[in-house]
Amino acid sequence: MWGHFMLHDAVLVAGKDLRIEARSRVALWQVVPFALLVLVLLAFAIGPDQASLRHAAPGIFWVALLFSTVLAIQRSVAVESGEGTRDGLRLSGIDPAGIFLGKAAAIGVQLLALQLILWAGVTFLFDVRVHVIWLAVVACLLATVGLACAGVLYGALSAGLRVRDTLLPLLVLPVLAPVLLAGSKVWQAAIDNNVSSGTQWLKILIPFAVVYLVVGIVLYGPLQEAA
Amino acid sequence: MSYVDAGYIVAIGGSFLYGLSLFLRRRRWERALSVKESTPDERPAVAERP
Amino acid sequence: MSTSMNTSDGAVRTPWRPRWLAVVGIGAVVTTALTVWLGLWVTPPDEVQGNLARLLYIHPAVATVALYWAGGVALLGSLLYLWPRTRSFFWDRLAAAAVEVGAVFSALTLVTGSLWGRPVWGVWWTWDARLTSTALLLLLELGYLALRRVPADAHIRAKRCAVAAILIAIDVPIVHFSVDWWNTLHQSGTVLDPGFNLHVHGSMLWTMLLSFLAFTLIFVWLLAMRYRIEVLQDAVGDQELEVSLSERWNEDAELVGVGGGSGAPGGDEGGGS
Repeated sequence: MWGHFMLHDAVLVAGKDLRIEARSRVALWQVVPFALLVLVLLAFAIGPDQASLRHAAPGIFWVALLFSTVLAIQRSVAVESGEGTRDGLRLSGIDPAGIFLGKAAAIGVQLLALQLILWAGVTFLFDVRVHVIWLAVVACLLATVGLACAGVLYGALSAGLRVRDTLLPLLVLPVLAPVLLAGSKVWQAAIDNNVSSGTQWLKILIPFAVVYLVVGIVLYGPLQEAA
Repeated sequence: MSYVDAGYIVAIGGSFLYGLSLFLRRRRWERALSVKESTPDERPAVAERP
Repeated sequence: MSTSMNTSDGAVRTPWRPRWLAVVGIGAVVTTALTVWLGLWVTPPDEVQGNLARLLYIHPAVATVALYWAGGVALLGSLLYLWPRTRSFFWDRLAAAAVEVGAVFSALTLVTGSLWGRPVWGVWWTWDARLTSTALLLLLELGYLALRRVPADAHIRAKRCAVAAILIAIDVPIVHFSVDWWNTLHQSGTVLDPGFNLHVHGSMLWTMLLSFLAFTLIFVWLLAMRYRIEVLQDAVGDQELEVSLSERWNEDAELVGVGGGSGAPGGDEGGGS
């Protein structure tokens, strides 16, 4: 299960998914505008008071990211939904753990790019400055691992189901909630220059990422067989 | 650089760059069309949708 | 100089280099250069805003192009396409071209607005009605452009996009009005437009009008070019594109060792429509 083949397959799968994205550019044209739209809608919800908006900004960043992650996962699953594509992948002898890692890596790359855009958006629209940059960056990297792994796993869970589009958000968002919680806290700390509080909350993001990475590697294969 | 200069550069430079991109895209699609028209029996070389 | 575009069988012949386009282009360059010269050197600084007021010759014109010219053409084209008497792909393509140009100008409006606002208000962004509805307009335009990229039969795509454009045209004023109300209830209702309190007179007024002309000519030129590209794209044909793209996706599937699924991710799953 471990070893050189898994990683090799992962790179192949990641490359395929990213190349499909590069050609169809769905993430660029749909997910990014959606994420920015969420920022605007939440600003409407909170009201025009600058102080409230500044206070809510970290949470808004993470909520926008979470919703966009759901879209990205749905997209990643949809790519494989052509007739026989999933069976073909299964029968091809590629290590399912490799498929999992590859898909998670591809989503991870897209999420990282999205976070850069959201970061710029939040800074610009809500007038906040992140002062402890390394804290925010580490939080984003850890969160990305967790989001991508959990996302691909739940995507596989709901793949092939007719109700996939409504079921997936319902299944995956509660699971991603800890990332929202911890991520917002770390960002708040990064804005307020409060390093100790920030590192406390990072400690939640680490196990989350590790758990979903391991669980994904182990369970993705059996999940594919069951689908 | 002042805000004023930046504003002029962004507006005029932005319009210029977009215009340049349109010029290049038009050329690319004109080529694609002429390739398509000169090879009726095989698959044409396709320009990707920009 | 041939200006033939679609012949009756839909074929598109000859490079398209109409004289009027060249004239518009040259006019755009000349009027823009004149605006820059007048705007940056000849006109006096404002009593209150000083040199910042020189953005008066850029921002309002750009905003007008984005909102009224581009938006107007997109709306008109969409309505005329949907109306059976005037239905023609000309209107559909014109509308689509206008939306793309409009998106570019909406973005430029936001950037120039921020550059003007930052020294005046102290922040890069403020949630006032005009900026906010321009931001939303940009997002809606991106949505339209994403919708346009979904492969479909030309008539279906045209109808879909026309309806989308009309809905956008209805939505933006509603948003503008709501945000305005939202703001005035919250604060004392000051209009947060950096140009609002400027006393525009004399050479400032003439230069501003000239800037409107300049950017309008720029808009016309860009619109015509983008329209032409739309015509060319349709002539080369979506069918070939789809086939070639799906061939390449199968190529990738082979790389991964699969016999080639038919999963065509070209956005057909895009809205679940």
